[in-house]
Amino acid sequence: MKFGVIILQVLLIHLFLFLGAAAKAIIPLPIPASMFGLAILFLAICLKMVKLEWVEKGANWLMAELLLFFIPSAVGIVNYDEILSFQGAEIVFLIGISTILVMGMTAWIAEKIIGKKRGGRHDDGNRNRRNVLDVSVGKTNWR
Amino acid sequence: MVTVTVVTYLMYRLAKRIGGKWNYPLFHPLLLAPILLIGFISVLHITADEYLDASKWLTHMLGPATVAFAVPIYKNLPVVKKYMSTIIISITSGTLVAIFSTFALSKLFHLNVEFITSIMPRSITTPIAIEVSKEIGGLPALTTVFVIITGVIGGVVGPSVIKWLSIQTPIAKGLALGMGAHGCGTNKALEYGEKEATFSSLGMIFAAWITLLWGALLIPALINIH
Repeated sequence: MKFGVIILQVLLIHLFLFLGAAAKAIIPLPIPASMFGLAILFLAICLKMVKLEWVEKGANWLMAELLLFFIPSAVGIVNYDEILSFQGAEIVFLIGISTILVMGMTAWIAEKIIGKKRGGRHDDGNRNRRNVLDVSVGKTNWR
Repeated sequence: MVTVTVVTYLMYRLAKRIGGKWNYPLFHPLLLAPILLIGFISVLHITADEYLDASKWLTHMLGPATVAFAVPIYKNLPVVKKYMSTIIISITSGTLVAIFSTFALSKLFHLNVEFITSIMPRSITTPIAIEVSKEIGGLPALTTVFVIITGVIGGVVGPSVIKWLSIQTPIAKGLALGMGAHGCGTNKALEYGEKEATFSSLGMIFAAWITLLWGALLIPALINIH
């Protein structure tokens, strides 16, 4: 039963991917169909054309099992001899260094901005509002 | 096709279970499951291309999986609005660091042009990275490989970076993981908590959008410099 619901909802989400592909055919921008699909689904939920419950379980399943969909491409690595050679070690090193820089920079800047916002918040008495928001985040069900 | 799917799913479950039991970088499901599967197909004399063709629909699911991220954005709309500037500033910086550091290091290591164009969009989620790669003249299959390597490495080094910089806020942790390691980072962020996971998926989506923009404006100019 639960599995059937997930399948139906994934099919519904699929429909929005097709709508995204249609939008891509009409709008001449270098934006992928899945991004158009995301935007259309988002608008449809906002405009109450699609109820959150209709897609929520399917969406949660797709996001929770995301790694599964990467696995075939990862197996495809065997098609690239270079990756398994010395150059492969270089590339892994390159990606490692770059990823550390990217994550460090993103986290550092985000933390700085939040620190400033928090600093100002003590004075304008917005703390309560923040707590309300924290609760709303805590309610989201991911699995 | 059914056999390939079932075996892939079982190997994925097994790898996830092993990875959950021994929390050791080399037991990452995205490393372990493909190794098990490569072993499996070579024993049965299935070529990689035959395997890829049969499991194509699993890769195709990355499309609806990207669409699905509309749900967490909608559910967290008040938080998204509230932290919009934080998200945009930190993720724009993240994408710039990703593009410039990847480009500089590829030049340093004398990668050929094909590799450089394919590696540039490596920090974002596969379906979008493929689009950017096509746009700038890279090879989508090769880009996929670089995206995967980024995901695995990001999932491993992410927690260390957070620890080294003693990052405290769930927002910064989440954004960094989503920016640096797309879906794999978001998967890692789930281990921290829901707020981290929310911001990780937001980071991932914004990284994809902003990189699309750079794919049209910045990356072609960079590649032409030589």
